[in-house]
Amino acid sequence: MVSPGGYLEQCKKKWFCYRAMRTRTVALVLCALAIAACKKPSDQQQPGQGGSTPAAAAPATGVLIGATLPLTGAESRIGGFYKEGYELAFEQATQSGGISVGGQKMPVRLTLLDDTSTQATAASLADRLINSDKVHFLLGTYATNLVEAQSVVAEQNNIPYVNGGGAATAIYKRGYKWVFGLLAPVELLAESVMKWVDAEQQAGKLPKPASIALLWENTSHGKDFRKGITEFADKTKGYKVTVDESFELNGKDFSALLGQVKAARADLFLADAHLPDYITMQRQYVTAGLCHKVISYGARGSEKQAAEALGKKNVEHVISAVWWSPLLADKNPEAKKFVEAFKAKYAGRTPEWYQALGFETARALFTAIEQAGSIDRKAVREKLATMKIPSLLPGGELTFPKEFGQQTHAPFVVQQNMPDGTAPIVAPPDSATAKGIAPNPNCAK
Amino acid sequence: MERFADLLIAAVLLAGLYSTMAYGLGLIYGVLRIVNLNHGGMIMAGAYAGWYLHHALGVDPYVSLLPVAAVSFGVGILVYRLLVRRLPRGAAGGVQSLLLLFGVWLMVRNAAYLMFTGNDQTLRTSYATRALSVGSALISVNRIAVFGVAVAILIALHLLLTRTYVGKAIRAVAQNADSCTLVGIPVERIYALTFGLGTALAAVAGLLGASLFPFNPSFGASELLKSFVVVVLGGLGSVAGTAVAALILALVEVFAILVIPAYLTAAVGFVLLVLVLVVRPGGLFGQRVLG
Repeated sequence: MVSPGGYLEQCKKKWFCYRAMRTRTVALVLCALAIAACKKPSDQQQPGQGGSTPAAAAPATGVLIGATLPLTGAESRIGGFYKEGYELAFEQATQSGGISVGGQKMPVRLTLLDDTSTQATAASLADRLINSDKVHFLLGTYATNLVEAQSVVAEQNNIPYVNGGGAATAIYKRGYKWVFGLLAPVELLAESVMKWVDAEQQAGKLPKPASIALLWENTSHGKDFRKGITEFADKTKGYKVTVDESFELNGKDFSALLGQVKAARADLFLADAHLPDYITMQRQYVTAGLCHKVISYGARGSEKQAAEALGKKNVEHVISAVWWSPLLADKNPEAKKFVEAFKAKYAGRTPEWYQALGFETARALFTAIEQAGSIDRKAVREKLATMKIPSLLPGGELTFPKEFGQQTHAPFVVQQNMPDGTAPIVAPPDSATAKGIAPNPNCAK
Repeated sequence: MERFADLLIAAVLLAGLYSTMAYGLGLIYGVLRIVNLNHGGMIMAGAYAGWYLHHALGVDPYVSLLPVAAVSFGVGILVYRLLVRRLPRGAAGGVQSLLLLFGVWLMVRNAAYLMFTGNDQTLRTSYATRALSVGSALISVNRIAVFGVAVAILIALHLLLTRTYVGKAIRAVAQNADSCTLVGIPVERIYALTFGLGTALAAVAGLLGASLFPFNPSFGASELLKSFVVVVLGGLGSVAGTAVAALILALVEVFAILVIPAYLTAAVGFVLLVLVLVVRPGGLFGQRVLG
């Protein structure tokens, strides 16, 4: 038997053993140096865990805000748009010397991570941001399913979570205190489309009663859309839902489903789909020779990418209801300011609703921090709960009503794709920039 | 009746797509006895290759089929020579091959993220929404073309395996590689050739898929699963069985809409897979040696 000391002695006699030990020692020293370099300075204070963190005791690094976005994966394109909105908001805050907290300007920093469009990653990264990166507040990711998973982590850690990417009411019906949403519910989206349809029906342009072929994605988003349409149809008695089917996200073949729609010979075709499904389904819809008096894919319709993929002619007269439109800049000063700032930063490019919601989400959080006058989580949560500020959203005001689980209920704008490639606002009347067309004139050809 | 005819046409055309996706996976398993998890990666790579040729050079996707197949055939041979060849043969190499080829798939996918970002891409041709009128039904020209390619591949594979020396050698190697060595068949070369052929077929399937729906670097994952279902249903190693299994799967999925909610139809294939594995573990057409 060899004692540890003896082993060392024996080992030293062999050059290769000595060399291995030396390598290990060097590796250990390098590791220690790396850990020391990564370690935060000892004088940097960490935020309280839901307790009181007065501004005076705030860290010199400023206000730390964490967020994840789907920068890769299925939702990466839209994740990139939200990133642009966040970046513009943070740049504006930085340019004005930071945000005003308790009378003193504090820099505001964003730690943005890629959640790869997956629920598990979105949830685990939120946990990392809170417990490892020690951020003070969280901004939300995009897409209902990701927000649904991530908001649980925020609630468990008692950290204000402001998101502009989750619209399903399921997120806000759980009685969470720390979750705030800027996207109005999808039910309201469906109702907005139906209100426009109803106005056209009242004007005698659409049959009464009108039959509806309703397709919805099998997600909370789709279920809310279905609920909005069917409740409106039941309430007004002017409609009959003849097809009511759901489909899986990222479907490849909708021909059987569209066959059902064709057989039903409905007047209106109303679907709720994300962009890839909208493109695939509309391509198969056009190929199958389908045409309805009104066609809508919920929030999808006016995207440039869809027109490029399908051809302008094949997306004509599609109705969409969105949370925001750059056309609102004509009537809403906050929207005007945002559009101008966005165009200045991004080489004259016109923003879509994604960037606007990203920007407004960050601005809402900054405003709450300023109003609270501290980075105390509880105080900021209180200010968010009672917030009432001018906003770029339709309606011009941002609130998080308690009765709706702290989800804003700003109205939607309804747009219609016109043959000239534009998508003007056709409803509500106070925001409309053009008159909608019904029934779809292409069906008569 | 009209509805029945519409569904039947939809199922037959869908079967064309499913079979093109599955041929490559079945061929490689039939000869090398490894499940090529990089099949999904090559489907995605084929989609991007077709998209790039169309986007940058204006080449029609169906014209791109041959160059894309040729290049991916070379890629397949390279992957075989550099990586797969080093795996232990037989059951011992099973787990290693899964890990290795899964790793290759991850690398291919991440390379695509770096090169093309995660944005959805679409391949838009002048005939993307054109349709042929058959009776009361309108049938997508694109889907008919995909079906045509699927049938052409089936015939070409059948002729290759039954009428050529190389094909007979492939079948012989699939039966007994050791005996092939004794009679002078270059087994390693046949393995490389088969792997290259399977990879080329995966890329062709990706290109055809890209002409039908949007794709991004994660494209290929659900296609791999679907291919796996088709290959197992058809009986591992049976090319004709693969085509028939694709038709059965498509028929079941499409007609299921008459009895169950549409969102459940995608799961029908997997239920069918489990049933077949329990009742006929060798697949609907039994375990055959290519042909």
